[in-house]
Amino acid sequence: MVGLSLGEKHFIQGGIDQNLRSDGRKRDAYRPISIETGVIPQANGSARIRIGATEVIASVKAELGRPNALQPDKGKVAIFVDCSPVAEPMFEGRGGEELSTELSVALQRCLMGGKSGAGAGIDLSSLIVAEGKICWDLYIDGLVISSDGNLLDALGAAIKAALSNTGIPRVQVAAGASGDEQPEVDISDEEFLQFDTSGVPVIVTLTKVGRHYIVDATSEEESQMSSAVSVSISRKGHICGLSKRGSAGLDPSVISDMISVARHISEQLINKLDSEISAAEADEDEM
Amino acid sequence: MEFVNPEGLRLDGRRPMEMRQLRAQIGAVAKADGSAVFEMGNTKVIAAVYGPREVQNRSQQINDQALVRCEYSMANFSTGDRRRKPKGDRRSTEISLVIRQTMEECILTNLMPRSQIDIYVQVLQADGGTRSACINAATLALADAGIPMRDLVTSCSAGFLNSTPLLDLNYVEDSAGGPDVTVGILPKVDKVTLLQMDAKLPIDTFENVMQLAVEGCKAIANYIREVLLENTKQLEYRRGL
Amino acid sequence: MLHSKTFNKKTRGGRIQKLVREVYLRDDIYCGALFCKSCEDKSKARLTATASTILILDTNVVLNQIDLLENPAVEDVVLLSVVLQEVKNKNSAVYGRIRNLIDSPARRFVVFSNEFHRDTYVQTMAGESPNDRNDRAIRVAARWYQSHLGEAVKVLLITNDRENKRKATEEGVSAETIESYVKSLGQPALLDLLVQPASEDVIMEEVEDMRPSKRKVVYPEHKPMSEITSGLTKGIYHQGKLRVNRYNPFEAYVGSESIGDEIVIYGRGNMNRAFDGDVVAVELLPQDQWHEEKSLSIVDEEDEEEDVHLVPGSSDDAPRTSIPVSSSTFDTNPVSSRPSGRVVGIIKRNWHSYCGSLEPMPMPAGSGGLAYALFVSKDRRIPKIRIQTRQLDNLLDKRIIVAVDSWDRQSRHPSGHYVRSIGQIGDRDTETELVLIENDIDARPFSAQVLACLPPLPWSVSSKDLNESNRVDLRHLCVFSVDPPGCKDIDDALHCTMLPTGNFEVGVHIADVTNFVHPGTPLDDEATQRGTSVYLVERRIDMLPKPLTEDICSLRADVERLAFSVIWEMTPEAEIISTKYTKSVIKSRAALSYVEAQARMDDSRLVDPVTKDLRNMNALAKIMRQRRIQRGALTLASAEVKFQIDTETHDPLDIGMYQIREANQMVEEFMLAANVSVAEKILKEFPECSLLRRHPTPTKEMLGPLLRTAAAVGLNLDVTSSKALADSLDCAVGDDPYFNKLIRIMATRCMTQAVYFCSGELSPPEFLHYGLAAPLYTHFTSPIRRYADVIVHRLLAASIGIYKLPTIFRDRPQLTSIADNLNYRHRNAQMASRGSVELHTLIYFRNRPTDTEARIVKMRSNGFIVFVPKFGIEGPVYLTMRGDKGGGEWFVDEQQQKIRKMDGSVSYSILQAVKIHLEVLEPKPNRPKLQLTLL
Repeated sequence: MVGLSLGEKHFIQGGIDQNLRSDGRKRDAYRPISIETGVIPQANGSARIRIGATEVIASVKAELGRPNALQPDKGKVAIFVDCSPVAEPMFEGRGGEELSTELSVALQRCLMGGKSGAGAGIDLSSLIVAEGKICWDLYIDGLVISSDGNLLDALGAAIKAALSNTGIPRVQVAAGASGDEQPEVDISDEEFLQFDTSGVPVIVTLTKVGRHYIVDATSEEESQMSSAVSVSISRKGHICGLSKRGSAGLDPSVISDMISVARHISEQLINKLDSEISAAEADEDEM
Repeated sequence: MEFVNPEGLRLDGRRPMEMRQLRAQIGAVAKADGSAVFEMGNTKVIAAVYGPREVQNRSQQINDQALVRCEYSMANFSTGDRRRKPKGDRRSTEISLVIRQTMEECILTNLMPRSQIDIYVQVLQADGGTRSACINAATLALADAGIPMRDLVTSCSAGFLNSTPLLDLNYVEDSAGGPDVTVGILPKVDKVTLLQMDAKLPIDTFENVMQLAVEGCKAIANYIREVLLENTKQLEYRRGL
Repeated sequence: MLHSKTFNKKTRGGRIQKLVREVYLRDDIYCGALFCKSCEDKSKARLTATASTILILDTNVVLNQIDLLENPAVEDVVLLSVVLQEVKNKNSAVYGRIRNLIDSPARRFVVFSNEFHRDTYVQTMAGESPNDRNDRAIRVAARWYQSHLGEAVKVLLITNDRENKRKATEEGVSAETIESYVKSLGQPALLDLLVQPASEDVIMEEVEDMRPSKRKVVYPEHKPMSEITSGLTKGIYHQGKLRVNRYNPFEAYVGSESIGDEIVIYGRGNMNRAFDGDVVAVELLPQDQWHEEKSLSIVDEEDEEEDVHLVPGSSDDAPRTSIPVSSSTFDTNPVSSRPSGRVVGIIKRNWHSYCGSLEPMPMPAGSGGLAYALFVSKDRRIPKIRIQTRQLDNLLDKRIIVAVDSWDRQSRHPSGHYVRSIGQIGDRDTETELVLIENDIDARPFSAQVLACLPPLPWSVSSKDLNESNRVDLRHLCVFSVDPPGCKDIDDALHCTMLPTGNFEVGVHIADVTNFVHPGTPLDDEATQRGTSVYLVERRIDMLPKPLTEDICSLRADVERLAFSVIWEMTPEAEIISTKYTKSVIKSRAALSYVEAQARMDDSRLVDPVTKDLRNMNALAKIMRQRRIQRGALTLASAEVKFQIDTETHDPLDIGMYQIREANQMVEEFMLAANVSVAEKILKEFPECSLLRRHPTPTKEMLGPLLRTAAAVGLNLDVTSSKALADSLDCAVGDDPYFNKLIRIMATRCMTQAVYFCSGELSPPEFLHYGLAAPLYTHFTSPIRRYADVIVHRLLAASIGIYKLPTIFRDRPQLTSIADNLNYRHRNAQMASRGSVELHTLIYFRNRPTDTEARIVKMRSNGFIVFVPKFGIEGPVYLTMRGDKGGGEWFVDEQQQKIRKMDGSVSYSILQAVKIHLEVLEPKPNRPKLQLTLL
């Protein structure tokens, strides 16, 4: 919980009004971002991202499962977020559950598209091993280690990095299985399947404080927000998902304005993330 | 199964009396009063300390000493097979309790009456010896938070496989079903504050195994002291002293 | 230095897990060369300074050429940990042998843990297979050795992998194949030890059959492993261990859990190159092909035939026949109810080396000394093996050992290589050694380390022993022992004192072996391995060194000895009132033989204390025995024979059945009681880790042959319980005095042997000892010659609180593996004893053609099997000439168990007495055999 005095509140709001935030940033500036990949060796892919004092880890684990009967040609992806009490005593016990659920749902919506799997950030049909019988189930786990605002964007970026870090062992299906039997599979340790993550969108959250909206809000700034809009945008500039938080209503024209700002910011963010991810991957290879 | 080969090497190349590689980093969580990451080989935990601060739940307030609380949690991705466990299962409740009791023992709680200290430990990677790693991380985090302590508590485990006492079991060795003795000590005053063992062991063998674990604790204490000293030097340097 | 290694693994549940393991790379792993200047630790160093070449072996060389490596011509060998690991995974037997070489101080083999050395550890590269990675690791290690040791020595990589050799040469590592290396040593005899590479196989076939076009496929292909696995999960194939019928090598059984029955495999074609003991995948044949192939005829294929052999003591060593219960001989195409199948693949080979001799053959002309010969194993379950040799004339009259290398589809016989020769065929020592090797019996003298564990001689009870608080002084008691004549390792003695109350105090005193054999010592390890003493006709192979067995532990007369005593108070009705267990010091008054003891009891003039005690004991023993029989204990009979051996030549002088006297039964009765009392005590204290002995209840199928025989002679046996069986056996008296014993002998052979087990592994109802009708039983009374008793002594000592229980008992898997080893050793010891008796029987009859009486025990379509009570042997008698398969002249009546001539003139029925002639013939040179003919 952020406990702020009235003076502090005025200072924050005043700074935003004057496009000079408490930490010296402009309204549309991010805090320094750093990414490390492969931080969880037992996962198929993982990444840690730090944005200022916010730190999250995302991991991707792949397990063999059965495809959904309605989509026999697609694999499944599930996203879970956990807020560690390490980051905030408030998350102790079941205290973090509400936020965790909110973040999980928002991420699922922003990154994985609709129920049918259409519009997902990664090609779900690449997860199929044997159509209708075996597919890969991806379990994406996000863990908040240190929280200083802008968790959704951080988690989104971490998942994007983790997915591009993911290698799934190539699977051979034994021939001869017919009918309803579950075929035998064999894995190879030499070949890995990598995902094309260029379609994975980034999430840009614009937080409205007073009359202005800012990117990458700290938790102090978030405590002053009236509402926030998170937009997920792909490299091509397509809007992949949208969610609004906060109770205050927004004028529809403001929303479309926010979206166009978000699109503009997303370009920089994607470039920034891509270069950080490739730098992190290069670092990891060297180790 | 052969856990120590005829050449005297364990499955991971260590000799029976060798510990895994230790790594520690202070101040991993910016907003906490004290925090640390502690690694023992592939086991990695993060600990954060909040406090001493106002008691959140007034009914728990103790008038002559500080209230120490602890919560242990495991990340979904911390083990080889992904498990999504509900919070507060028996195992984590038990470990929370063990850590709390061990740390409470060394914190000078009487100096901070009517206050609360929260210790949170989060397991990022579990490869055997999580209990010990949690205690070691918590010690570092408490020191980082500047909480007055009698001594540093350090912990290490030892086991007994293939008729050989082995220091600091990793997951594979731990799952072999042999005994696993976890010891926590106050190294300066040379007192054992934590002692747990599963499976059975004849008493004379037990003494050897426990002695080995105690030696491990002492080595960890030395390492932790070095880390703290280095950290203090850094602070000094940053302040331009 | 730290590295992590990650790999993916498929779990049992079909899930895929990514596993991460750390690897710590070290700089304290030493090269093992004595002359090396940079490695400090020389404690494990073996490679000598004179070595000009240091060999680094590839995995395939270790796996295939272990026989060559065991030859002292190959020295200064470095075994890389990567190689050892691969060997261990692929063949644990070879791994054990290579470990022995490494441990042997006489050899110069060192281990280099390349996988943990910082300079030789290699990480898997992208797209590299585990095999390629390991090959690269071997080359990296070889290069490290060369640069580490400098140019003064040559580091030579020995590999038969062409690709690995080529890459090594490219990378500047000298590499050679094992063949070219052995050739360079200049010892042609070594070449025989080489495993023949597959390419030579082709040449071999061509030699046999000069027209290459005629190379035909003899066996169906083995299915690939992936297909087998999926077939197994789908239930099309069945997995199990193949066991070949000891008496008919063309018939085998695969016990399959998946169908809960045995699958019968008829013929070598269906066995498809599987050996006895191989784990195989079997496919069931369609039911209309479940025929009974030749089960009724005495095997007559090729030139294999049934031999005369000892009468089996239990179903474990009895010939297996599958006489159909329901099928009638009038059926034109009898269909069996037993599923039969064929082998489609071999999951795990059980190849090892075999003893036998070469099939006689003429010396081939002008082939440069190189010849192909067929090896015939002594063990009939093993097919003939083709070997290549350069010393044929030298080997033809020898017993040799041969190892199997491969068996491809085109060859009728597996191919192998010569390992070593034992000696002349027919020579008693050679044949005895053969018996020992066949049964995996270690007859080597005890090592210096083992002997160092013995107390100094001469040994006597010291005051320290007497003052030991746990030891009771029983020297005042009138203790005596009763054993077979000439027994030197006396491990039990008895006493029996009348108490003032009229009750008796009866004590069983057992040699206190564990006072001298301490856990964890080389002596104890050796005894664990040997498991039991082995009794051959002319010699004994001890489990413990002689000073212990014949002196220090042996409870000889008139010397003070340490003992472990079980002492009961018994009423005159032999009811046990109380039981005491204690370590003690005794002084035996007399060491009697059975005959002496019997004579004393029978001689009413004798009234000395020992004789009086003997009579009291005998009275008690009779009551106990009676009670035991009432409980349902079986009085089984064995056809054990005894040889009289010439002390000079060790040749048998006379042969006869073992006589059992009352005195034997008396001692046996008290030993049984002691064992039961001890079993109760240890199980009470240690319910999880006691070593007990059980005798499984025989199943209906096992008793089938007995019931059929009994029914044929009009005897109705009730087998519902051991009690019922015991009673009906008692009632089985015909006009023939030998009839009852014969039936008992047949009953005994239907049952399996009793086995040791760890009490934590089974539930109490399974603890039953069927034959003794005892719910609990163990072995306590012969610690000098059985290791099980040593373990039980330790358990008993711990249960009465005088010694700590050794740590091993906390380790149930290890205890179980010890129990398994004991069972294996006991069975082998028995097989060896039988083998030795068979050998001596043959020697005995060599110059003594004899006429004697025999009993028909089994019917065959071309004759019958007879049992010769006087000599304890069993063998076939042919009614028709060999090669003439029944010819319809004789006719077997299944129901009546009779064989009748078609014209009805002659008939023989089961259990009938016949006169036969016994003679040793030599149908082929060097192959003497005992032949039985009807008079």
